[in-house]
Amino acid sequence: MSAQRLSSPVVLGRGLTLPNPVGLASGTAGYGFELEQLIGIDRLGALFTKGTTVAPRGGNPPPRVAETGGGMLNSIGLQNPGIDVVARDYAPRWRGWTIPVIVNLAGGSVEEYVHCAHVLEPVPEVAGIELNISCPNIAGGLDFGRDPVAAGRLVAAVRAVTERCVIVKLSPNVTDIAVVARAVEDAGADAISAVNTYIGRKIHRATGRSVLPLGTGGLSGPAIQPLALAAVAAVCEAVRIPVIGVGGITDAASAGDFLTVGASAVQVGTATFVNPETALEVLGGLYP
Amino acid sequence: MTADLGRAALEKGETLVVASLGGGLLELVARLPHLAATATPGSFAQLRCGAGTTPLLRRPFSVAWTQDDTCGFVFEAVGAGTRLLSGLQPGDPVDSLGPLGHGFTVVDRGPVVCVSGGLGCAPFPFLIEALRRHGVDDIVVLNGARTAVRLFPAERFGRPAVPVVAEATEDGTRGHHGRVTDLLATALASRPAALYACGPNSMLDAVMRTLLASGAELPPVLEASLEAPMGCGFGTCLGCALPALEDGGRVWRLCCTDGPVMPMHEVDWAELRALPGPDVA
Repeated sequence: MSAQRLSSPVVLGRGLTLPNPVGLASGTAGYGFELEQLIGIDRLGALFTKGTTVAPRGGNPPPRVAETGGGMLNSIGLQNPGIDVVARDYAPRWRGWTIPVIVNLAGGSVEEYVHCAHVLEPVPEVAGIELNISCPNIAGGLDFGRDPVAAGRLVAAVRAVTERCVIVKLSPNVTDIAVVARAVEDAGADAISAVNTYIGRKIHRATGRSVLPLGTGGLSGPAIQPLALAAVAAVCEAVRIPVIGVGGITDAASAGDFLTVGASAVQVGTATFVNPETALEVLGGLYP
Repeated sequence: MTADLGRAALEKGETLVVASLGGGLLELVARLPHLAATATPGSFAQLRCGAGTTPLLRRPFSVAWTQDDTCGFVFEAVGAGTRLLSGLQPGDPVDSLGPLGHGFTVVDRGPVVCVSGGLGCAPFPFLIEALRRHGVDDIVVLNGARTAVRLFPAERFGRPAVPVVAEATEDGTRGHHGRVTDLLATALASRPAALYACGPNSMLDAVMRTLLASGAELPPVLEASLEAPMGCGFGTCLGCALPALEDGGRVWRLCCTDGPVMPMHEVDWAELRALPGPDVA
């Protein structure tokens, strides 16, 4: 008889403890309201919301998605209703949810991130903040993610206005992700999510043009799992704060790889599009 | 606004048959009891194509018809996903997520005009059956295709009673020699209570332009089922954006949850026209 492996809570700091290590990745779960209707979302460890900005954003022109071998490119362009709508209209709908909701913030300047964090500060339904310094699909979206000094300055500025757990989501589109990881840790980040999507391009072979209107997009899906795993291993070696592994997880085995290299938790992303129950299956597979 | 996904469910069904309808058109018949019981005309299912990671994403298919615990889907093997579906054998599993999407407004009085282009035939048998249940018998289908063998067979639009089907082929091999939009003027003379259209976005655009140019009063219900490259199908990835007009400005709506059926006067046809064509590989 095998002993049942119990999923253990994950302490991320500043009062945020995930009930278990399997979350839903930003950009693949909206604000939870669709998946709430499809799966038992409350059994999961965390919901990382769609990237949210100060002002509403309409998003990029279509086509916004393109399928590739074992993956997909997206160029959504941070379509979101803006921080005020999230704080005023969405957050009350999270009341009573047992899944911690962590709001992913994006912006073009330190001031924008700080403003968003400030707006969320009095909202009790927000369990934490994930700073998206790694969006490849808006102008300047990667500026903070590629520059350790700028990343540190951003984290310190947000740190100064919030008591919430601050998680920083790193871009893999850098020469040395460990340098950025150490910079955000030194600046006061409580945890790190790694990684966001890889910059990719697909050519429409009939025309020779890029399929995505901005040329490139962010690559996700099982194709990136080994790349993400290498990046997460490097981050885990570089920092002492908890690391949340994300990138190409499709099942318990591919999620377990991230825990093996030192991640404290994982996020399931693109696989949710294919099978909304993937994160629950990962949880059940890791802790049968 | 959050989409109502209350009826959507994952379902493991079974292939009954993949039959050729001629001209490359295929019909998948699958035992999918939940979908058959809950789908509405114009709604769709996201079908998994193969069990591997390439192709990764599900493919959206209109529910063409339902009967007892089975559903029909009409498609063509044009890309990696549909090629896999075309090879399904009786007994093979069919992995469905559905029903999804906003479907047609089923009116309860005629006359009704259905405009179908190529694979745009897919949602009409189900819609026509629902219209008949609502007591509407005065139904005309305008069915267009490039060439005769690619016309969805007229008798499949409605069983047992076949609606009036007027056909057009671009090469003149059957019916009117020209485009399906050439047939609109005659159909509009009946002052239809509803006009439903489904086909490539370029055809839908041509339908709308023809309607506007005709000067005729627009049907009170004027709806089109549109298409867009889709990621999830249930409103979270925001990938399937379509241009719409709202309060005089352009907004992006989601094909999967705001559509695929949209009122035609709400679509920003000029913007849609400027978008690149589909990438199929």
